[in-house]
Amino acid sequence: MSKAPAIEVEGLWQVFGEKASDILKEVRSADTRSIATALQDKGLIPAVRDANFEVHSGELFVIMGLSGSGKSTLIRCISRLVEPTSGAVRIDGEDILQASNSRLIELRRRKLGMVFQHFGLFPHMSVADNVAFPLKMQGAGKTERRARALDVIKLVGLEGRESAYPRELSGGQRQRVGIARSLAVNPDIWFLDEPFSALDPLIRRQLQDEFLNIQATLKKSIVFITHDIAEALKLADRIAIMRDGEVVQIGTPTQIVLNPVDDYVREFARDIPKGRHMTISEVMEPVGDNPLAGDWPELRTGMSLEDALTQCAATFEAVPVMDGDGKVVGQVRPESFVKALGSEAT
Amino acid sequence: MSLTKGAWAALITVLVGALCLFLEPHVDWLGKWPAGWTLPVNDWISQGLGAALGILKPVARFFAWLLAFPMDGLTWLLSQSPWPLTIASVTALGWRLGGWKMALLGAVGFGFVLISGYWLQSMRTLALVFVSVPLALLMGLAIGILAYEVPRVKSGVNVVLDVMQTVPTFAYLTPLLFLFGFGPVVGLVASAIYAAPPMARNTLLGLERVEHDIREAAIMSGGTRRQQLFLVEIPAAANQIMIGVNQSLMAALSMVIIAAVIGGFDDIGWEVLLTMRKAWFGQAFLAGLVIVVFAIVIDRMSATLATQRKAFDLRISGAIVGIGAILSFIVNPDSTSYAMMGGVAASVDTAVGTFTANNGAALDSFKNGAMFYGLLPLRIGLDQAVLPFTWGFMWQPQYSLWLFGVAIALGAVLAIKGRVAQGIVLIIAVGILETGIADLPWPFVLIGVGALGWMGGGWKLARLITILLGTILLAGLWERALLSLYLSGASVFACAVVGGLLGLWAALSKTAWAIIRPMCDVLQTIPLFVFLIPVLMFFQIGEFSAFLAICMYAVVPMIRYTRHGLISTPPDMVEAAVSSGATRWQMLREVRAPYAAPSILLGLNQTILYAFAMLVIAALIGTTGLGQSIYLALGQADIGMGISAGAAMAILAFIADRLVQGFAEDRRKALGL
Repeated sequence: MSKAPAIEVEGLWQVFGEKASDILKEVRSADTRSIATALQDKGLIPAVRDANFEVHSGELFVIMGLSGSGKSTLIRCISRLVEPTSGAVRIDGEDILQASNSRLIELRRRKLGMVFQHFGLFPHMSVADNVAFPLKMQGAGKTERRARALDVIKLVGLEGRESAYPRELSGGQRQRVGIARSLAVNPDIWFLDEPFSALDPLIRRQLQDEFLNIQATLKKSIVFITHDIAEALKLADRIAIMRDGEVVQIGTPTQIVLNPVDDYVREFARDIPKGRHMTISEVMEPVGDNPLAGDWPELRTGMSLEDALTQCAATFEAVPVMDGDGKVVGQVRPESFVKALGSEAT
Repeated sequence: MSLTKGAWAALITVLVGALCLFLEPHVDWLGKWPAGWTLPVNDWISQGLGAALGILKPVARFFAWLLAFPMDGLTWLLSQSPWPLTIASVTALGWRLGGWKMALLGAVGFGFVLISGYWLQSMRTLALVFVSVPLALLMGLAIGILAYEVPRVKSGVNVVLDVMQTVPTFAYLTPLLFLFGFGPVVGLVASAIYAAPPMARNTLLGLERVEHDIREAAIMSGGTRRQQLFLVEIPAAANQIMIGVNQSLMAALSMVIIAAVIGGFDDIGWEVLLTMRKAWFGQAFLAGLVIVVFAIVIDRMSATLATQRKAFDLRISGAIVGIGAILSFIVNPDSTSYAMMGGVAASVDTAVGTFTANNGAALDSFKNGAMFYGLLPLRIGLDQAVLPFTWGFMWQPQYSLWLFGVAIALGAVLAIKGRVAQGIVLIIAVGILETGIADLPWPFVLIGVGALGWMGGGWKLARLITILLGTILLAGLWERALLSLYLSGASVFACAVVGGLLGLWAALSKTAWAIIRPMCDVLQTIPLFVFLIPVLMFFQIGEFSAFLAICMYAVVPMIRYTRHGLISTPPDMVEAAVSSGATRWQMLREVRAPYAAPSILLGLNQTILYAFAMLVIAALIGTTGLGQSIYLALGQADIGMGISAGAAMAILAFIADRLVQGFAEDRRKALGL
């Protein structure tokens, strides 16, 4: 891991409305809430309120929140698709809010890639041309573009569809093109704005898995936006939870599930089967003076509670099951309970 | 008792009306705006604009000289090119654009032009269109991109586009005539100006509709602003822009033909005008048919540009052109030797002659009936329209008292039932019918329209339209404006009733729509000018013919929007109504009709604008009012009159547009759309 964080967001505000920047300077006070209230009183909309976080190199950082919580605006501030009102966004130490227009174009051509919720494919270009578009902007030659485009198209599993047009593709395939395009220039920083939200649940899970595979080999520094807590927990190294433009908690999936900072976050975590996201190490206690005796199942520190429970239950014998007359009709093993219950929730 | 907004507006209007009615015999200036109070606006415009145009004149003349080159070149090319080659080229283009269907359309269409005997004139018209359209497209594209790129100028650009489209076509011609001098270049420039707004609008609309994600994807790919615009946004908006190209082509064709009234260019529009003036209806009909065929070919072919289409093999196009080239050496190159429709024209003439001779009485009584019992009372009021000659008896003042008495009684009944606004509106309607639109006292009109504006769009709209109407009054164009209002009002009313019913029928029956739809398509493709031919054939020159021509042209949007509104009820609403046990009629009345109201209002709005556009053209066959002034101004090269009357027309159209849009918006909001 390198020393400087890949992305560093510091005191970032995005306020919509007339003269937002001036008014924001005027109402400066210590407390984020009171600034936001003051802004709203003046008819302004504080969409992102004093965001502070870092994304480490190679980290998959997920920003999660409901619609209207400001997460989409936040990612647009970081990629400077909108001009933040104040604050700093440093990418590899360089404040891109200060970057000139040409420097910004340069950064986008070399360093940044982005995937959009509704794909943003160019309807008049074939798959290959869509994917090669950022390379064309770089000024790469035709043959080079073609070769690189085919590489990434292969990476996302769309071989053979290079000359298809977006309208001929399914939703899942379109987003594969979107992903391929964002990877075409081999960017260091990868922005994904709700990339799987517009897809069917089955396709979504499939793409999530493939996305994790790709990330496992490419090791990009990622900012990933979602409104789906399950998706966040499944993918994230760390999660930032947003509400009303504020980042209310940042933590690993386990921390979010185990130690929600307030009711809002708790509400999200409520439907999550804790057993799947907590590991043994989090409930384990020090061994006392008396060494543990007996025939115990093999538990390891990284094991999820669910798995551990199955292991433990496996040490018990099967129990008979009777019908109404007391006749034995079958048997059930305790671990079957655990497995059945565990596999039901998602 | 609390009154609704509508009731208040109606109440104020009726009070002002009553006051005017009582005071009118004593106070002269109430009925007729005194000549001494008018401002010499015409002279001001003549002098001011005359000076400005005088400065521009050398530039314009230079421009005209410059434009003459491509025009002469293309005219020469099209008229010299052997006809088999031209027809083959059009067919080849048709194949490329839309396969064998379009190829057939091109071949048959241009084949018809050949045998009509108007080949040369048609080629001249085509040359005008094809020089003016690129100009219009470039202007439109530039304006559209400008408005998109510089948001500050957008509202200004929209206003200019509105004005360019509402100012009647003839009104353009007068100043252009002054600038460019007589000749086809005026028609060229006029049609380029007239055809630019649709292109600009569609370009802007298309660019604005490019998906957000697509735009951001272009930014994040590292494109410069110019790369984003030209490599991504404009291509992504291509379909909408192509709709603009299609509309632009049609507008240019329509205007080129209208511009024939200036004369000096032996094109197909001139041919129509000439034969119409000589009352050679067969020939006029034939020439009109050529224009219609042209319009259909150009429209359908360019419409394919805006659809997703596969590319048709270019080699086949090449082969078709090749065949045409070979044929050019074999067949007689003289296009006139193929004219074989002269007989048709003659027989149309005789047929129409016989028909009118045999059914003259029926036609006359139809016409007179409509005039005496409909148009005339609307225009000058029952008190003057009811004469022994028309209705068989003389109107007496006590009839007016009776009429008002009955109206007030009915209005009171409605008011007691809780429909106060409806009751008052009834009284107002009777009052208008008794007085006649052309004789309405001006304070009543100002206040009434202002009240409508207040209902439809609040104080701001009310103030704006009252001021605009006031300028017409001050400019001394009031009487003519009322005459225009009367004729367009009568036509719009007729269109609303007929079009509404046809739309309803088309919504109920698929068969009906299968019949009505192609008729609507054709009516919408025909250039304005051509509508005059059939009505002239049967009803001669006069107000009634103008009325019919306006109705024919303006009825289409009413039909389309009514049907569309009625059939586009969301399926869950229909299912909810069905599961509540609604019959077909209950469904129509309780669910479909209220939901369709905004759409129907928009149709009405379009109908009004169409009626105004046609009103000016109809001046050619005898209407009074502003349209006539504009047409006369063209003949006399009177810039002041042309511009001010044109502006007055535009103001009327603008007011009608804003009012109806306001009400439509109200309904949409009420429905949560």
